[in-house]
Amino acid sequence: MNKKYNRFLSGPYVVWSTAFILIPLAMILYYGLTNEDGAFTLKNLALMGSAENLKALGLALLLSFISTVICLLLAYPLAMILAESSMSQSSFIVVIFILPMWMNFLLRTLAWQTLLEKNGVINSILGMLHLPALQIINTPYAIILGMVYNFLPFMVLPIYNALVKIDKDIINAGRDLGANGFQVFWKVMFPLSLPGVISGITMVFVPALTTFVISDLLGGSKILLIGNVIEQKFKQGSNWNAGSGLSLVLMVFILLSMAVMNKYDKDGEGGMF
Amino acid sequence: MKNAARKLYLTLIIIFLYAPIVTLVVLSFNSSKTRAKWGGFTLKWYSSLFSDTAIMNALYTTLTIALLSAFIATLVGTTASVAMHSMQAKYRNYLMTVTNIPMLNADIVTGISLMLLFIACRVTLGYSTILLAHITFNIPYVILSVMPKLKQTNKHTYEAALDLGASPIYAFFKVVFPDILPGVLSGFLMAFTMSLDDFIITHFTKGPSVDTLPTKIYSEVRKGIRPEMYALSTLLFLTVLILMILINSSPKNEEKPSRKSQMTSLVLRRVVPITLVILITGGGIFYGSKNKMRSEEQVIVYNWGEYIDPDVITMFEEETGISVIYEEFETNEIMYPKIKSGAIAYDVVCPSDYMIERMVREDLLAEINWDNVPNIKNIDPTYMDQSKSFDPDNAYSVPYCFGTVGILYNKTMVDEPIDSWNVLWDPKYTDNILMQDSVRDAFAVALKRKGYSLNSTDVNELEEATADLIEQKPLVQAYVIDQVRDKMIGNEAAIGVIYSGEAIYTQWENENLEYVIPKEGSNVWIDSWVIPKNAQNKENGEKFINFLCRPDIALMNFEYITYSTPNKEARALIEDEELRNSTIAFPTADMLKDCETFRFLGNDADAFYNELWNKVKAH
Repeated sequence: MNKKYNRFLSGPYVVWSTAFILIPLAMILYYGLTNEDGAFTLKNLALMGSAENLKALGLALLLSFISTVICLLLAYPLAMILAESSMSQSSFIVVIFILPMWMNFLLRTLAWQTLLEKNGVINSILGMLHLPALQIINTPYAIILGMVYNFLPFMVLPIYNALVKIDKDIINAGRDLGANGFQVFWKVMFPLSLPGVISGITMVFVPALTTFVISDLLGGSKILLIGNVIEQKFKQGSNWNAGSGLSLVLMVFILLSMAVMNKYDKDGEGGMF
Repeated sequence: MKNAARKLYLTLIIIFLYAPIVTLVVLSFNSSKTRAKWGGFTLKWYSSLFSDTAIMNALYTTLTIALLSAFIATLVGTTASVAMHSMQAKYRNYLMTVTNIPMLNADIVTGISLMLLFIACRVTLGYSTILLAHITFNIPYVILSVMPKLKQTNKHTYEAALDLGASPIYAFFKVVFPDILPGVLSGFLMAFTMSLDDFIITHFTKGPSVDTLPTKIYSEVRKGIRPEMYALSTLLFLTVLILMILINSSPKNEEKPSRKSQMTSLVLRRVVPITLVILITGGGIFYGSKNKMRSEEQVIVYNWGEYIDPDVITMFEEETGISVIYEEFETNEIMYPKIKSGAIAYDVVCPSDYMIERMVREDLLAEINWDNVPNIKNIDPTYMDQSKSFDPDNAYSVPYCFGTVGILYNKTMVDEPIDSWNVLWDPKYTDNILMQDSVRDAFAVALKRKGYSLNSTDVNELEEATADLIEQKPLVQAYVIDQVRDKMIGNEAAIGVIYSGEAIYTQWENENLEYVIPKEGSNVWIDSWVIPKNAQNKENGEKFINFLCRPDIALMNFEYITYSTPNKEARALIEDEELRNSTIAFPTADMLKDCETFRFLGNDADAFYNELWNKVKAH
């Protein structure tokens, strides 16, 4: 498209992002690189190197990675089913997946507590059926469940959007040329849906990595994730400098992992970044 | 076969997604106030919901902010995506990185940084700042939905349109836009949803008297979620569900629909949804205008969530003609930055002991003019004396509620008399212990158990306490703050560390529960009213405090929130003799002899405590 139009179109967003993203970021940068008296220091960044914080970071990476993989595995077939159903029906079904998010996030997570607790709903039902009780509340498994539950729609939607766009003729052509079902999927469909997959991974992995509410409510606060550490620095300690420092390190970390991921987005368009 | 498998898969996923929703719907009909117990079927929460103007106001603020921010974000985000799509890769990558920042940052960081920005620009925090913040975090969701769509569009069709003489704008709307429309719509929906759900960013960018549903829900967490919230969520959910069904219920299998069915479909798919939307917006404007009819005189109150009887506020407004702008917080540490930054000039605030000491030390509070608070005579002198530990001259604070921290245990689940903190280290109760999830409270337990002061700054004592807490961790079922009461009522654990005010309530709900202040001593805390230095209506603030010290009003509050009142005249008015003489609500001097009040230990000591607590939690 025309360069002139381009500049005109991107104008509002460039101004907006400078005012409300970059300037606030600069403030975080300032806090992260100074101590309480305003003098320059790298101490806040170095905090990430402590054994506890490294462990919290590692655990957060692990749990959000597992959750992202589970979300992807659950969402892809789902998006395929949705994409193949007839148009008017599918838009309705898509709404079905967003609808739960209209109940407040905290209320939903508390509801999972009611479901999973030792004397909770699920265990009462299992008990009636004389099945062994489910004991995952206050463990990392419950946190993964909470992450998958809360972020699954973020994976379904972009993949669905990408799949719907694929021209049926391309798939048929693949079949006509002798590809079997798996080959059609792996050589034709999956590569074409990759932008959606990558945007889904971003939307699940990042919020999962920084969450602290889910680990508090479903992990019984026994499991410390990096989001909890940062939240604690801001809230309990009122130590904005340390909190900002840790967030900066975390951001660099996320940016790096995204850059690596984008190597796999080979459509020449540069992907998310 | 394949179809059956698909259906099964869809069903399973839908069960997974909707199990919590069903739970919440069921809870909205539960006549018991706690989520841990089924008290029978009721519709009372639905009727009390509509008479609660605070909730209805919050609902309309939430909806209008969500609609507006999603709309603007979609506009800006879509144009930005189109522009970025045809940009040079270098610039596009740069802009995309910027776009991802709000998503990458923890919400609390985004929230605080935006608050700092607004304060620096001297923008008054309120509705508009929430809107700006919401648009900011919504744009990335729009861009992330639209960009993949754009990548899939065929450039050649667009160029063909240009070659055939279409102007770029015409070609865009005729060729490109229909292709990306689903992405735009899902971006809008996503933005709307995210805005509906956000709490933390809203909390830091909102002003007093503006509340959204999430901020209301979070401020209620401390005293337990009010069932009206379940009722409201259920209604919201049903409304959207019905809207969606109506919009999507297109007549199928009819090639040429008859006139009549066309009419019904028109009514169902267009008229009904539009009417609903008009009703909701109209209601919002109606409530909004009601909100604006306030008198000149006002007082801005900043209190803990669910920490006052709402009728008390109405009575105060009627008697004095001063309108109350009421805002809630859920921890001292969330309240502190808003006072410290001077973002909002509150008139009266209700922090706890150690936080008052800190605020006095940092010169954030104004001295109270006692001539305007004659009812101070009703406050038991014991508590005025106790306040001297954080307010040495009784110059800044008026005690509002007090209590102790102790052990709540389930008589059917323990087989020995409980009188010591040591029981929290007894392996017999593995996975049956609930500890407090806050630094000072947790350390107070460990320090007191060893006979040390809970205000200790001695490195050796603290290291020892840390080692003890780490040793205890495998026995602990969960570290919780507010959910102790629900979990104890639901028989989830045998022993929990709890505030005395909560203990009274839990006993009403579950008669097997017993509360004890351990013999080693514990924490006795006081929440008091103070007036910040930058208050604009100091005299009204003093009138408000004076009103709360009136015996009948203090009694109303005590019966509503069940936290002990230091008001001796109010205590004398309690009708239920058992409650009046309850040693949980009003412990004797003997029971309190080893109890201490938290002190502000300074930033360095605070940081050290936090570091040690981090060690415990990460272990």
